[in-house]
Amino acid sequence: MTKRQQTIPEPRNRESVEFGLIMENYNIILFLCNWGPHAAYQQLQDNGYQIPPEVKMVRIPCTGRISKALLFKAFEMGADGVAIVGCNSGACRYGSGTLTAENNTEDTRSIIDLLGMGKERMRLATFLPDESGALKTFLADFCEEIKAMGKSPVLPSASRPPETSGESVRQILARYDANSCQDCGKCTASCPLALSGKAYSPRNLVSDIIRGNDTAGKINADIHACLTCGICYERCPSNVNFPEFIRDMRCILNRDGEGSDRTQPHGGFFQSLMRTMTSPAILPDRWKWLPEDIQTDPDGKILFFGGCAPYFDAFFKKHQQVNTVDIIADALRLLNFFDVRPRLMEAERCCGHDLLWSGDRTNFLRLAKLNTEMIRDLGIETVITACPECYHTMSLEYPKNGIQPGFTVMHLYTFLEHEIDKGAVTFKPLPHRITYQDSCRMNRMEEIRDLPRKLIQRLSVEQFREMKDSGLSALCCGNCAWTGCDAYTKALQVKRIRQAHDTGSDLMVTSCPKCQIHLRCAMEDPFQEAELKMEMTDLTSLIARTICWE
Amino acid sequence: MARKINKQEVIVTGFGGQGIVLAGKILGMAAALGDHKESTLVQSYGPESRGGACCAQVIISDRVIQYPYVNMADVLVCMSQSAYEKYKDQIKPEGYLITDKDLVKPDGRREVFDIPATRMAEELGRKMMANIIMLGFVTAVSTLVSEKAAREAVNSSVPKGTEEMNLKAFTKGFEYGLSKLKGKEKKAAGKTGAIA
Ligand code: SF4
Ligand code: SF4
Ligand code: SF4
Repeated sequence: MTKRQQTIPEPRNRESVEFGLIMENYNIILFLCNWGPHAAYQQLQDNGYQIPPEVKMVRIPCTGRISKALLFKAFEMGADGVAIVGCNSGACRYGSGTLTAENNTEDTRSIIDLLGMGKERMRLATFLPDESGALKTFLADFCEEIKAMGKSPVLPSASRPPETSGESVRQILARYDANSCQDCGKCTASCPLALSGKAYSPRNLVSDIIRGNDTAGKINADIHACLTCGICYERCPSNVNFPEFIRDMRCILNRDGEGSDRTQPHGGFFQSLMRTMTSPAILPDRWKWLPEDIQTDPDGKILFFGGCAPYFDAFFKKHQQVNTVDIIADALRLLNFFDVRPRLMEAERCCGHDLLWSGDRTNFLRLAKLNTEMIRDLGIETVITACPECYHTMSLEYPKNGIQPGFTVMHLYTFLEHEIDKGAVTFKPLPHRITYQDSCRMNRMEEIRDLPRKLIQRLSVEQFREMKDSGLSALCCGNCAWTGCDAYTKALQVKRIRQAHDTGSDLMVTSCPKCQIHLRCAMEDPFQEAELKMEMTDLTSLIARTICWE
Repeated sequence: MARKINKQEVIVTGFGGQGIVLAGKILGMAAALGDHKESTLVQSYGPESRGGACCAQVIISDRVIQYPYVNMADVLVCMSQSAYEKYKDQIKPEGYLITDKDLVKPDGRREVFDIPATRMAEELGRKMMANIIMLGFVTAVSTLVSEKAAREAVNSSVPKGTEEMNLKAFTKGFEYGLSKLKGKEKKAAGKTGAIA
């Protein structure tokens, strides 16, 4: 793995660009399958053909092994174009490699398109061993096209100095008063991970860190396993804010190069995506899917902040039927319903939640600064969002990290409750028995527990029942910040879904797009699918579907 | 456009104890003191109020009012079923019918502007304030008085110490009224829900 990464070229030479030299170095990564096309490639070389100098070839065992994370990482590290070249579908030595590559390419292309980089920067092609002529044309063509598009707008984050100061473990222990831990074990007794059978104990973790044990190995793994769900913090008699303690520990490990990529599911794709968004020159094109019925105001003072749903949908398109952009569309429709035509920010970036909580404070700060500056430059007074993480991050974490937004951040539910409470609206009957999955950011961190319930009570459903663990003791959806997904978190998810079924409901109402993604993923279990399947809808969509004027 | 005298006649009715007369009085005061118009108030006591129905007749006009009784109202506000039954025919064809949604079941022969004023007052913790909520609603959906005038009149008419609570009740009713108007407008445009 590290060897392969080394073959990915160094970030491009900025100085040559800055001094206006025309000699721009283009970096085009060619992932080349070892079997069919490599023979063609070799034939070209044997015949004395000079492979274009910007093409950096990475020899791979099969195109199907190049995940979306690897494809994307090339762009994150500064590639201007990526070609993945394999065998014809029928000629794949391993059977399904080419098909997998087709899917991965398609998804990655739609994501770089959402980022505004142009999907043409990525191509998949297949060649038989004797098609060296065609391969030659392909390479020349692709180089031509990339040069016509110009350099990639990505400024690799690793090429810039870090934005964080050196903090010591000691300082963090002091900040969260972890030394006052009484060793009571209430945290471990309530931790959903420990309860799922994982050999994991927040109590031990705290005392290990206090004792100054080496953070390598087990401790490092445990720091990255925590869901930062916050149940333990609720129970702790000494008020040790465990999730934030963990977050800051992760930031230290990450800073010292001990962050653990291995604990990032999907090959760290999402962290990579979010780091890429820290490039100031990136101009995302993230709203192009917006349905036509939605009205926005290009000069408004109210901004709707959408969040990363479009990227998630593109990534998970083939696995689950996630359609989390519906939540964004429905949130906008609800604003329109109450005559608010919000402004949308073309270049909206990730709020930074997942980077911060997976330990990358430097890139979190970059995103936070870019977002606040852009929002302020638009003269925005209020930002409304329907995503619990965006809300929590912008309203709380930005100021805590020294970034004063200068605008008000409001969750959509607050807006809705205020408007609906004025009266004259009602809700069409919904023939469902529902239960509600709390989002940890809104529930335990922002203390917004009653508001979604108040809205649910307004709906006209057949039945609303809470799950066995709800409110303050609600169970996590099984993942946070794309960190640490394993068999135990899966067991936790299965337990949660069973709790939902036990309420006799046929519809689980969520308030966070990620709860839907992670829980749906657990429902895809081929052995338990029939038992676990349950319809899921976000509360925002449910309100949008049934609200009407009296 | 020949002789456009701006004169509106109002009947506010309900049962005793709902603060009907106070509502009428505030309406008249708002018009006279805040909007600088002419206004009159007639409260009906006497035989017709015996059935429990209680009534305030208010006239608001640009010119001096010669005769203070109302026969056919431009705005009829009903806060009880019996009051509605009794007065429902004393409204002009183009007039507004305004009711307490939970207390009046109209016969459906004309358009109604309704508000659950009593329920909303209960939610605020004071059932007595239903009249002020209703007043806020009437202010929003009709052109009788300006919002500013109505607020000032509420402020100076309610018992000392309860101003803030009453103004809050007024706001509730007023915002409900604005929502109602918005809803009507949207429905007229064929947009009932959030999803097209
Ligand atoms: S935050 Fe959640 S997962 Fe982490 S230790 Fe506490 S209870 Fe366990
Ligand atoms: S609950 Fe708090 S005091 Fe008890 S062991 Fe856990 S961190 Fe220590
Ligand atoms: S639960 Fe599924 S979707 Fe969520 S991080 Fe794990 S593998 Fe990915």
